[in-house]
Amino acid sequence: MKALVLLSDARHPVSGRPAPAATELQAVALAHTLADEVNGLHAGPDAEAARGALGHGLTRLEHRQLTAGDDPLPSLVAAIGTAPPDLVLAGPRAGAGAQTGLLPYCLAEALGWPIVADAVSLAVADGVLEVIQALPKGARRRWRMRLPAVITVHPAAPAAASFALGVARKGQVVETPGLPARIEGPPVAERPYRPRPRLIASAAAGAGAAERLKAATQATGPGGQVMVAPPPEAAARAILDHLRAIGVLKPAERG
Amino acid sequence: MSRLRRDPREERATHRLTDGGRPRWGLEAPPASGRLRRDPRREIEAARVPGLQRLRLDRTSRSIIPVIPSPVEPLPKAAPTIRIVEEPAFLVAVVPDAPGGRLTPLDRQLLGAARDLADVAGGATLVLAFGTVDGLGLAGADRVITMAGGGSEDPSARAIALATALSALHPRHVLFPESAKGGDLARRLVARTGEELFTGAENLTGKLVTRAAANRRIEQRMAPPGLMTLAPDAHSPHAGPAHEAREIPAPDVFPSGGHGAILSVEDLPVAADALSLAEADFVISAGSGIADFDLFRALARALGATPGASRMVCDAGLMPRAAQVGASGTVLEAACYFALGISGAPQHLQGVARCEHVVAVNTDLHAAMVERAGLAIIADAHPVMSALLVALRAEAQE
Ligand SMILES: Cc1cc2nc3c(=O)[nH]c(=O)nc-3n(C[C@H](O)[C@H](O)[C@H](O)COP(=O)(O)OP(=O)(O)OC[C@H]3O[C@@H](n4cnc5c(N)ncnc54)[C@H](O)[C@@H]3O)c2cc1C
Ligand SMILES: Nc1ncnc2c1ncn2[C@@H]1O[C@H](COP(=O)(O)O)[C@@H](O)[C@H]1O
Repeated sequence: MKALVLLSDARHPVSGRPAPAATELQAVALAHTLADEVNGLHAGPDAEAARGALGHGLTRLEHRQLTAGDDPLPSLVAAIGTAPPDLVLAGPRAGAGAQTGLLPYCLAEALGWPIVADAVSLAVADGVLEVIQALPKGARRRWRMRLPAVITVHPAAPAAASFALGVARKGQVVETPGLPARIEGPPVAERPYRPRPRLIASAAAGAGAAERLKAATQATGPGGQVMVAPPPEAAARAILDHLRAIGVLKPAERG
Repeated sequence: MSRLRRDPREERATHRLTDGGRPRWGLEAPPASGRLRRDPRREIEAARVPGLQRLRLDRTSRSIIPVIPSPVEPLPKAAPTIRIVEEPAFLVAVVPDAPGGRLTPLDRQLLGAARDLADVAGGATLVLAFGTVDGLGLAGADRVITMAGGGSEDPSARAIALATALSALHPRHVLFPESAKGGDLARRLVARTGEELFTGAENLTGKLVTRAAANRRIEQRMAPPGLMTLAPDAHSPHAGPAHEAREIPAPDVFPSGGHGAILSVEDLPVAADALSLAEADFVISAGSGIADFDLFRALARALGATPGASRMVCDAGLMPRAAQVGASGTVLEAACYFALGISGAPQHLQGVARCEHVVAVNTDLHAAMVERAGLAIIADAHPVMSALLVALRAEAQE
């Protein structure tokens, strides 16, 4: 079983220095749960950030050299096509650059492989991969698929292995020229980031303190149904029916 | 989102008396807008006990001071009007998440953004929904297409269906929520069609979209392209009149399966008591009105709800601190909140502000939590909890 982890040219979110992205390191750890050989692949002008992942358990890092501003996708497809692994893992967003999270999807489409986002655990049995996907509100979904596949890793996946200098020294980096490919697209203007306030529920303009408090605590909507001193059984029935009507409680199973 | 600006000149003009001659202003008439202003002179005048030399005021009858109605008649409450866009110049399509057929807050914001994009030049909003969705008209949808294959949860099949539908409809913009589900669908779609996608828009107007990039060090801006995903809380939901949400037939879409290599997709049951409160979708919470906490925990398990508590209970050590709901505890994102014996102090209600449904059991009819609740039971909570447990066990055995 061979797994390949895609490493972006990431920057540390605070210091801005080259450092592998946290989710990509988690991808390395996740790949180690089923593969004995975990390789890394980076396409871009500089592999310094990707090199940092060697100490976290990568066996080998392949660097496809490109000039700045080139599209990494053709080089990645070419690199994967020459010696296809069983599994390709990527982060949900790159650690620098546009951070669109599009690359794994485009790669899966170019390879014709299935893709599952936000994996938190992986298992393989008889060439069938079982992926547990993290959904919002703590929900989980199980996917079963035939290999090969592209998987992106959720931040809730197991933590990455810590850095080991010996492992980092042993890891080898293979440099190969990539396929130059210019990115065409509509012009995007860039400027320093300006944080914007997130919208919150707010009272009407010019409202007093009491109205603002009400807007912060009260939901809008029709007043509710009130049952005064019902027998407990009737109250229980009403509550269960209401919970089913709004869809938070599964309908009763008929046996 | 700006606050209305007062125009003193205009406010003065509303006081102007039109009895000709010299310009005069009557200060009796309260301004037409804003809060009513108390006029102490008028109140004293109304409280004066008539027929006495000496000034005597009867303040006990304050409540019967006639409230002078504002000079501008309040708008007559007509039947709710529905705005209809008959011949749209173009379409702005929205693909909401709508889990369980209900719009999420982000879906509403998405429709608000689509409304703004459409209203710039006489367009209409179109919702492409997988399965039926409630409340689309109020959220600002003009047209609705229910896509076939809503039952399948495989996003690769949905992306194929969307790609064919969009190529038939030619909307000017397509908006997706930047959520786990919507963001995934949008990326699958553009990977397939090769179009440009503007991801995670944090500000969206008819002329410009903005997104953060490079760990929020820079922002990228451009004219709104065809496909965009909208970040949460970046746009206000539609607040104007309801739209018609007319159901129109779906364009012909070949029923297609997902990717051939995918064998099965299934949702796993969630262990509700292992969830953190912030993640939970259904929270049941105990306040000082509850004495029997074993019964409460048993009910939480039986309902599959995450247990929470008010601060009084956490302070008393009856529930862990992590279970505290409220301003100084956890602010919930849950869809439903079930409050047992909680009075509903403002600090507590702030934690529940984002919950759509509230159910309350309380002995006090006038508790704030009862006012907030969609279903309120005015009774002792303990017999109700036992009855709920009995009812759930009976259902399980059926
Ligand atoms: C700075 C600050 C921050 C705070 N932050 C929080 C916070 O984050 N979260 C929080 O919860 N509180 C917070 N509080 C405390 C808050 O003001 C209230 O004191 C607290 O929420 C009240 O908890 P309660 O509703 O459980 O108790 P009570 O107010 O005592 O209400 C008990 C309710 O149970 C009902 N009842 C009694 N017996 C029964 C019965 N047998 N069956 C059914 N109903 C019954 C009563 O009618 C009453 O309505 C904060 C306070 C301050 C000052
Ligand atoms: N130049 C690159 N070389 C290799 N992998 C990359 C590169 N850029 C992005 N990736 C992978 O794709 C994921 C998403 O990147 P992006 O679509 O750029 O946000 C990242 O987490 C990486 O795993």
